[in-house]
Amino acid sequence: MDNMQQQFFEAGTLMLAGMVFVFVFLSMLIIFINTVLARLAIKFPDPIVAPLSRTNRKSKSHSKPHGEISPAVVAAISGAVKRYRTQHGKDK
Amino acid sequence: MDSLTKLWLSTGLANFEIGQVVMMLVGCGLLYLAIARNFEPLLLLPMGFGAILTNIPVSGFSEVGGLLHYIYYAGIDTGIFPLIIFMGVGAMTDFGALIANPKTLLLGAAAQFGIFATLFGAIALNYVPGIEFTLKDASAIAIIGGADGPTAIFLASKLAPDLLGAIAVAAYSYMALVPIIQPPIMRALTTLDERKIEMAQLRSVTKIEKIIFPLGVLLMTIFFLPAATPLVGMFCLGNLMRESGVVDRLSSTAQNELINITTIFLGLGVGSKLSAEAFLNVETLGILGLGAVAFSIGTASGVIMAKTMNKFSKIPINPLIGAAGVSAVPMAARVANKVGLEANPHNFLLMHAMGPNVAGVLGSAVAAGVLLALVG
Repeated sequence: MDNMQQQFFEAGTLMLAGMVFVFVFLSMLIIFINTVLARLAIKFPDPIVAPLSRTNRKSKSHSKPHGEISPAVVAAISGAVKRYRTQHGKDK
Repeated sequence: MDSLTKLWLSTGLANFEIGQVVMMLVGCGLLYLAIARNFEPLLLLPMGFGAILTNIPVSGFSEVGGLLHYIYYAGIDTGIFPLIIFMGVGAMTDFGALIANPKTLLLGAAAQFGIFATLFGAIALNYVPGIEFTLKDASAIAIIGGADGPTAIFLASKLAPDLLGAIAVAAYSYMALVPIIQPPIMRALTTLDERKIEMAQLRSVTKIEKIIFPLGVLLMTIFFLPAATPLVGMFCLGNLMRESGVVDRLSSTAQNELINITTIFLGLGVGSKLSAEAFLNVETLGILGLGAVAFSIGTASGVIMAKTMNKFSKIPINPLIGAAGVSAVPMAARVANKVGLEANPHNFLLMHAMGPNVAGVLGSAVAAGVLLALVG
């Protein structure tokens, strides 16, 4: 019987320690998300969202009006336009 | 005549013991649940088949030299298979909903009460004659309440390998039963008005947050709970592979081919533990019973925590999402969504419930680490 009481006591301690630890650990994670991650999110927004929101003004101040469109995309579009024009030229 | 007798003695019919037949029927039961009822078929099918194989007389599948013996010792005894699966789960997990609403981590923490309350239950079962659970056994059984298959198998293989078969069967069966076990508890603990609560749309989460998150989790685990680093570390590796976006091939392998291959072997290996002498006893009944209790308490404490948070929070929180804190990703989140829709057809809780759901995965990994550190 004593042994059982001892085991219950151990289980109780384990429960208390375990629950406290799980809560403390995950609460620290909340703090981590709210401080570190939130700051990072403001500092480095996703590139797709960026031109619409905060960094828009920044990019203007760097006087790069077309800076957001990558050269590869420009090349692809101009290539397509060129081909379109030459094809239509041939048609006529 | 002599050779005829020899031939007869080498047949299965001559060597069957009643326990083996019963265990084969248990294996067939698992196959039935997997095939006909679609209960966690990915694991229950190989597990059921493994149970049949391991109980074949004379063949020695699970003895030294047998296939299942090596599968078990190479992958489960060492803890490798559950950890590889955990990496795949990490690669499948999107922490976006959690990062957008970090408070839901508390729900994931509250639902782990199911684990620690079951510890008590397991020790109390020692009053029943024929059952004798040590604190290690009790801890391994209690982790069923974490509703996380790989975590349960990992912890059981470390703390109570003898009970592994029963624990794995209980863990996966109850995970499949989440849509049946949870809703009555959720309805009983909430009012209709509470279930109707609509939640504000989640903010969008940037890529850098998702990349730093697993690293932060790992760092915290290294500092505060190194015992949980095998589980959390593999999980974070999988998640980083997913979110970094530079190793799509690895991420896709981890969440498809690798996890599938490992699941086959994990199922077979766990099945090999379903031998008559290890499974057919009162303790197994105790474990199956405790598993249900663990799930129910976990669900209830998650819902109660969410109710409490809703009272104090400025932003409304639907208590139903608390039930998703028991992990069982993504089933528990779907259940929360479904019960929410019943009360209010315009209420889509799925994304909100994914927050506590993945928090539950972290929570049970942390709980497993605590148990390993204190009992192991």
